Amino acid sequence: MGYVRGLRCRECGAEYPPTQRTVCEACFGPLEVAYEIEAVREAFRREALATRSADLWRYRELLPVFDESSKVDLRPGFTPLRRAGNLAEALGLRDVWVKDDTVNPTNSFKDRPVAVAIAKAREWNLAAVGCASTGNLAAATAAAAAKAHLPCYVFAPASLEPGKLLLPRIYGATVVPIDGTYDDANRVALLAADRRGWGFVNINLRPYYAEGSKTLLFETWEQLGFDLPDVIVAPLGSGLLLTSLEKGIRELRELGELPEDATRLVGTQASGCAPIVRGFEAPDGRPRPVKRPETIAESLAIGDPGSGSEAIQAMRKTRGFADDPSDAEILEGQRLLAQTEGVFAEPAGGTTVATLRRAREDGRIDRDERVVLLITGNGLKAPGVWRETFPPLTPVPPTPAAVDAFLGGTGHG
Amino acid sequence: MVKLVLASPIAVATQGEREIDLEFEGTLAQLFDVVSGKYGRQFHQRIFDGDGRLKRFVNVYVNGEDARYIKGLETPIPRDATVDLLPAIAGG
Repeated sequence: MGYVRGLRCRECGAEYPPTQRTVCEACFGPLEVAYEIEAVREAFRREALATRSADLWRYRELLPVFDESSKVDLRPGFTPLRRAGNLAEALGLRDVWVKDDTVNPTNSFKDRPVAVAIAKAREWNLAAVGCASTGNLAAATAAAAAKAHLPCYVFAPASLEPGKLLLPRIYGATVVPIDGTYDDANRVALLAADRRGWGFVNINLRPYYAEGSKTLLFETWEQLGFDLPDVIVAPLGSGLLLTSLEKGIRELRELGELPEDATRLVGTQASGCAPIVRGFEAPDGRPRPVKRPETIAESLAIGDPGSGSEAIQAMRKTRGFADDPSDAEILEGQRLLAQTEGVFAEPAGGTTVATLRRAREDGRIDRDERVVLLITGNGLKAPGVWRETFPPLTPVPPTPAAVDAFLGGTGHG
Repeated sequence: MVKLVLASPIAVATQGEREIDLEFEGTLAQLFDVVSGKYGRQFHQRIFDGDGRLKRFVNVYVNGEDARYIKGLETPIPRDATVDLLPAIAGG
């Protein structure tokens, strides 16, 4: 079992062997993978990491895959951590970095959790895999399934951007286009996986799937010279990414790699779908479900977030905060990132930039703090949001005069 | 006939039964009373918290609609309804 001790319930602490198990049998709470930390400490050494492959498996002691041959070799992870000096200057900050997961194999961070989940599906010889998706996970699961020779079933809202429904089909998956919200797709996907015995990465493989996401935290730590920033801003959909980041911080601390109060975790979602932000503001710390999400950030449009409470706990525990910019602010965030740093993010990335701007202006983030933005998806996946800002171009005739007329200024002699 | 459908992880509350047909009409709370009568206190203890509220880790859907968006435990259950009990920890 490698370095894995078992599965542990975050709610009641019950422990289980590391088998295919969705939730805690005693209380139905979320399970997380627990490791033999003393054994991990022996092998997880800074100097050893430097010699390893440039993908997420470089943190193998803290990933729950037992059979090397079950890994699918798409090599996600170890994406660039870009120093964002222009963006920092534009926002009046000193030290901003962009963790650029737009360059993963299917252009989003979802390749990370999928890598772990598909490896587990192969270890357990599951007949098929699948997911419920707001778009990015669909492509990630379908691509890994293709490489693993596994049938793949993607449940997604039929209203997604056309490209997000097209990509998984190109990889060979069957797309089930649900006439409803993401939460509707998630509900029927859960029932389908349960009845057919398939492995759905974010449903019945979820405790393992979650582990892949924390590699964003490990990479940030390693790429900053084994240090974490003062603030990490992460988009919130289900809340699982932020929950996984907190787990990564906890594990590095248990290994003796981090001081007590390392990093503030800041979560952000669009104001048109902000169940976790509303829950963060409420005394009980429980998400406030949204029946009909209304936002351009469709990758974050989860009205009933499965890890919302855990994400709220993580933000509170790390003294972070939650924020919900408007769609207009998100678009402006996308444009600012593209035009200052040359990184084209989907709206989820614009959400992190928008929150950084808002938090700088109202003082929630200080100008001297080191900030890392997690840019989790590529803007090319969601071109439709730009239709109004950039209407179609009118063709220019291929003559110098026409070009001069188009550009203005000096005419040709 | 009301059809009660439990996802596998939740079916520990009904001794592994994943689909239960019941002659019933009333509210969701009354339906759970009937099911508790059939499967004992264990069902009630697993589905409800100490304050008598549904556990936050269990989602209940009536004909595909989340009961929280209807009337919670007072949601009317027509005689031909399908009621799903699913783990809340999923997705994303």
